[in-house]
Amino acid sequence: MLESLLGLGVGFQHAVQPLNLAMIVLGLVIGILAGALPGITMLNAIVLVLPFTYLMGIVPALLLMIGVYCGGVFGGSITGILFNIPGDPMNVPTTWEGYRLSQQGQTQYALGLAIMSSAVGGLVSALFLAFFAPPFARFALTLSSVEFFSVVVFGLAGVAVLGRSSLPAALISMFAGMILGTVGTEAQYGVERFVFGVPFLRTGVDFVTVLIGLFAIGEVLEQVATMRPDGTPPTGAPRAVPRLPLLSLWPLRGPLARGTLVGIAVGGLAGAGATVSSFVSYGLEKQFSRTPERFGRGHPGALVASESSVNGSTGGAMIHLLTLGIPGSAATAVMMGAFLIHGIQPGPLLFTKQPEQVYTLFAGMILANVLMVGLGFLAALCFATLMRVPAPILNTLIVVFCFIGAFALRNDMADVWLTMLFGVAGFLMRRYDLPIPPLVMGVILGPMAEQYFLTSMVAHGNDLTVFVTRPVSALILALALLLVLGPSLRRWAR
Amino acid sequence: MAPRAHVAALLGGVLAAGLLFAAARPLDAVASPGQLGPGFWPRLVLIGLALACVLKLVTDRRGAPEAGPAAGGIDGTVPAVSVARLGSTIASILAYVLAAPLLGFPLATVGFIVLFMLLAGARRAPGIAATAVVGTVVLLYSFVKLVYLPFPKGAGAFERVTLVLYRALGIF
Repeated sequence: MLESLLGLGVGFQHAVQPLNLAMIVLGLVIGILAGALPGITMLNAIVLVLPFTYLMGIVPALLLMIGVYCGGVFGGSITGILFNIPGDPMNVPTTWEGYRLSQQGQTQYALGLAIMSSAVGGLVSALFLAFFAPPFARFALTLSSVEFFSVVVFGLAGVAVLGRSSLPAALISMFAGMILGTVGTEAQYGVERFVFGVPFLRTGVDFVTVLIGLFAIGEVLEQVATMRPDGTPPTGAPRAVPRLPLLSLWPLRGPLARGTLVGIAVGGLAGAGATVSSFVSYGLEKQFSRTPERFGRGHPGALVASESSVNGSTGGAMIHLLTLGIPGSAATAVMMGAFLIHGIQPGPLLFTKQPEQVYTLFAGMILANVLMVGLGFLAALCFATLMRVPAPILNTLIVVFCFIGAFALRNDMADVWLTMLFGVAGFLMRRYDLPIPPLVMGVILGPMAEQYFLTSMVAHGNDLTVFVTRPVSALILALALLLVLGPSLRRWAR
Repeated sequence: MAPRAHVAALLGGVLAAGLLFAAARPLDAVASPGQLGPGFWPRLVLIGLALACVLKLVTDRRGAPEAGPAAGGIDGTVPAVSVARLGSTIASILAYVLAAPLLGFPLATVGFIVLFMLLAGARRAPGIAATAVVGTVVLLYSFVKLVYLPFPKGAGAFERVTLVLYRALGIF
């Protein structure tokens, strides 16, 4: 502990050097902007800055990437809350609640909660990383694809708690999303599934097209089709200057703590990452909430839990990379590339051979999360001014940005077509009460579940009992079952 | 949705799941002996989809099925839809996607912005024209010049128009 404290002290001395601090700020700005723009993900931003780090020293290079990483996982929440357009899949649960709050005239509150809970989640996660990385990594190594599958199932089980619709409707939506996730060329055998001779389906349905279409285009269609004759939407356009609800966060300390812990734990599982942790945290929060019926209608606790878990996962994801040399997510894999480019091999020896650089990285993460409060506020302020733009202009620009976001995925008009078609589907789903969030969950988590399931079956000779005979997996699956059956059990008990 | 159409939609879901299930069966021909094939997971999901549709049918028969579009607004009310405006909005979006590869992104975007703003309730011609032209130029600078996004340039004469426009703006 003392060694970690001393190390952090040295790390802070390096991290506050003007160049290093500037790199953190620059990274945060790039990350927040990239995260906020649909179609440009945090991972894209990390990949884009990688070439610029070749000419830098290792410390500024890594701090730049850390800034992009921390800012990127938060950025998508801003457009999610303001325009119902999550920048990244990990920001989807925040969007469900934040946009509803925004529609109720609580945009400032929602933005402030998102900024503060992201910062707290990220800060605690970075401190956890600094003090407990090695023992946590040793524990995480004992887990395998069996446990990862159970975690993803837990995330999917959250389908039972989403929105106001019935469980069967939510399940229909989720399974439809999971089927969409199977379209394209299968990874293990290279076989085409449900392509039906359509060339662009060979590469699969990118979940970003589903995300942009269902949320953004569907929302625009809803607004334009239901607007009054004078051109104003029926809900009225909210006005927003974010405020930072420091005191308002105290009553939400429970969701904040749970979200952060889930973020660290799930982020620490190699391959799970921020998206899974945000869904798991959202589902878990409904179990603990005293007002579960308000989920999907603008629940501050749900927003705080999912948002803190997203940034909470950043520290967890870094644990594998730094202590074992195993990247736990695509973003940390690119960062590992930056380490190797600069001649540093992440792994157990890193802590003994280059402790100064490691602790500078930890200090950089802590600083990034503190600075994110200010920069997140400024970014939210800038995006919130867009709310003053008249609805006809705003809706038009949203459609154009969706076009660009979808096209930017693969420079292919087929993705634009898919996005617009999913937009029409999103409108119809809204009108006929088929919940959209489970479909999105199915598309995102379905392929992960398949991958972990098949890997587990290969590793354990197709023995299905492995999911209930391994204690951690059994515990997670029991919790998932409780999540699904909880409401029915509560009704039965009454 | 009317109850009969509601039942038909759910039965359609079961039928679609069945057809896709059949389409997934041959996929396992490539599987290694003793291993699950690439068709196993989709079939598992399709069984789930069919069961969920049946479950929905059963629960709707027990309780009251939705007689119409369900709650969509914050207060539980559903704002009325103008079918004509919805149809023209969808048509304008699809026309934009169709026109972009033919006319090129800049011309298609200017046209789309004008059309969509009119549909969305804007009435001031100078504002619409300014948004269309300035908005498109800003997008071109941001995404073509800075991010190198290769937007569709159009076909035939329209490609030449796009290139002339790019050169005039200093993008090329």
